[in-house]
Amino acid sequence: MKVTFKRGVHLSYANKNATKSLPVRDFVSDEVRIIMNMHIGAPSVPCVKKGDHVLLGQVIAEPVGFLGIPVHASVSGEVTDVGTIPYLGETPVQCVTIKNDFKDEWAPLTPLGDVETVDPALIVPAIKNAGICGMGGASFPTHVKLSPKPEQKCELVIVNGAECETHLTCDHRLMLEEGERIVDGLRAVMRALSVERGVICIEDNKPDAIENMRRLCATRSGVSVQVLKTKYPQGGEKQLIEAVTGRQVPVGKLPIDVGAVVCNVGTCAAISDAIRLGRPLISRITTVTGCVKEPANLRVRIGTVAEDMIGACGGFSEEAGKVAFGGGMTGLCIPNTDIPTAKSTNGIVVYNEKDAKSIDEGPCIRCGKCVAACPIGLNPYLIKRAADADRLDEAARLSVNDCILCGCCSYECPSRRWLTASFKIVKQKLAAQAKAKGGKA
Amino acid sequence: MTVFYACAVLGALGLIFGLALNYAGKKFAVETDERVSRVRECLGGANCGACGYAGCDAFAEAVVKGEAKVNGCAPAGEKGAKAIAEIMGVETAASERLVARVLCQGANGVAKERYVYDGYKSCAVAAGIAGGPKECRFACIGLGDCMAHCSFGAIKMQDGLCVIDEDVCRGCGTCVANCPRGVIKLLPASQKVMVKCRNSDVAREARRVCMHACIGCGLCRKNCPSDAITVENGFARIDPEKCINCGKCASVCPCQAIENLSASDADR
Repeated sequence: MKVTFKRGVHLSYANKNATKSLPVRDFVSDEVRIIMNMHIGAPSVPCVKKGDHVLLGQVIAEPVGFLGIPVHASVSGEVTDVGTIPYLGETPVQCVTIKNDFKDEWAPLTPLGDVETVDPALIVPAIKNAGICGMGGASFPTHVKLSPKPEQKCELVIVNGAECETHLTCDHRLMLEEGERIVDGLRAVMRALSVERGVICIEDNKPDAIENMRRLCATRSGVSVQVLKTKYPQGGEKQLIEAVTGRQVPVGKLPIDVGAVVCNVGTCAAISDAIRLGRPLISRITTVTGCVKEPANLRVRIGTVAEDMIGACGGFSEEAGKVAFGGGMTGLCIPNTDIPTAKSTNGIVVYNEKDAKSIDEGPCIRCGKCVAACPIGLNPYLIKRAADADRLDEAARLSVNDCILCGCCSYECPSRRWLTASFKIVKQKLAAQAKAKGGKA
Repeated sequence: MTVFYACAVLGALGLIFGLALNYAGKKFAVETDERVSRVRECLGGANCGACGYAGCDAFAEAVVKGEAKVNGCAPAGEKGAKAIAEIMGVETAASERLVARVLCQGANGVAKERYVYDGYKSCAVAAGIAGGPKECRFACIGLGDCMAHCSFGAIKMQDGLCVIDEDVCRGCGTCVANCPRGVIKLLPASQKVMVKCRNSDVAREARRVCMHACIGCGLCRKNCPSDAITVENGFARIDPEKCINCGKCASVCPCQAIENLSASDADR
């Protein structure tokens, strides 16, 4: 039976056709720039300096705080710079530049052996040491997700293979080509949390992936494949839980509070490597598509610069208007192609000038399409009215803080109003307000 | 005849209710201080909230109760403060008129552009995308968040920079609160010389991104006769209390980062 969540939007996935049948291709550039805040939480602190020789997988930055994870060298070679670069967010970020010597000499690794026999207590520390964070986009440190408080009981591990975003096919290819790693990773997570049931969730527009994963799951205990209806944002954590378990994550709570843990397929594959081979997270599959000559699914080292990857795909096929990291709905534009990819960069999409042009905002016509689309069940048109008038308290009353910024409302709006963009700002302002209040108290 | 009865009954009812309401109105009248409405008339009337109260009415009540200062309404200005002080029968210290000033000269073509921004017309949104459309991460973004929030129409956008009309500005500070970059500051209207840059990066980087960036060279400090300038965090600051508006700093600044308004007034 196919399951899904309430509301949401139906997107056109024709743009996946360019890359969905292309095998993953390896690409290694001669320089990587590894940024220090690839995960949510305090940025890691570099522990190498200019001129140092680093080995593949060597720790180059130490974790800071509860949410911290270490960062590893994704190539072997010489550190040519430790500095700051502008990145996708507001403030510049620290970055370690390494010149690749193409020798790929591994730093000493400590494999833990087969996921079915390893001591479960060793799994979570190994995940932390491997620098693994959510590879679906939110980049939440995985070891934190897998360390529930004693009162929180996990019953189900969900592996997110929905890939509901447009353009992207990296998870699809991973499920087809390296499904075993995903199942291994899932088993490791299940054993770490001592959970009996694991579900790999795949949308029904990927029948080949469903078939492959079903075949691999048949021989393993407790794991199964759940087919989902194709709908956006099916791969959203809360939507996925709603679809699979029928439970909704309450306001301000985490998935673990309804007994579920959600991991991306890429994260599971990385966990498998961390346990079986002792390898840290140093590479990932990234889809490069849109207006490039040869769209591809590239396996790149973390920190590969966008320019090199676009070059590896033959360069722009026409004048580029925008280049974005991520899919069509939640992707973030990059200021120039000199920006390196991170652990959560699942795609680079190049838009031509026509597609990149934004449309001027019109007035709200009260059609209610945004309400019908919102997967959370908010009233986007009312929140937007409050946001435009800068009435933060009213926006908060309308639960703007529960908005997952999926972009469904903006997508459906016939007046092309900037709904999601303004909610993001309102959320930021409310967070700043709460912080200021907390500071005073 | 029926018409007559109807009129008589309704008329009698009207009379009875009228008298009852009149009596109730006198008996249960709420005592209001007539000073509240008089104070209210002296205020700016924009409900800008700069005083910290929920609008002009709330502020007028607070003044009469003695909770708020008589010169607490920035838009009312000195004149308003005096009028309110008269109503309240207190003395008010003459407070300096404050105006909002833009401490950035990074107009289009002066500050380097990082990318063409074509999204939601809001500085706050643009600031969050890869450090903003201008290379300088301290520069005015120029999409008009301040203009949208100004209750007095004192701000307009020109060449990717906000321009504040000092004659119209009432110094309420709403723009200051709504600028994601913090390039707008409230300064005394009499302060004519100011450093129009807040870039705290190293000199080389600051100069790379903007032709009018303060590079923190300290030439202004050395030439200041009244010791009013400090260079901290890579950019110069003028202390309005010490500054004598001589304009020497503006003339020696190698980057034209310091503006002397009295000099530009003379040019006009």
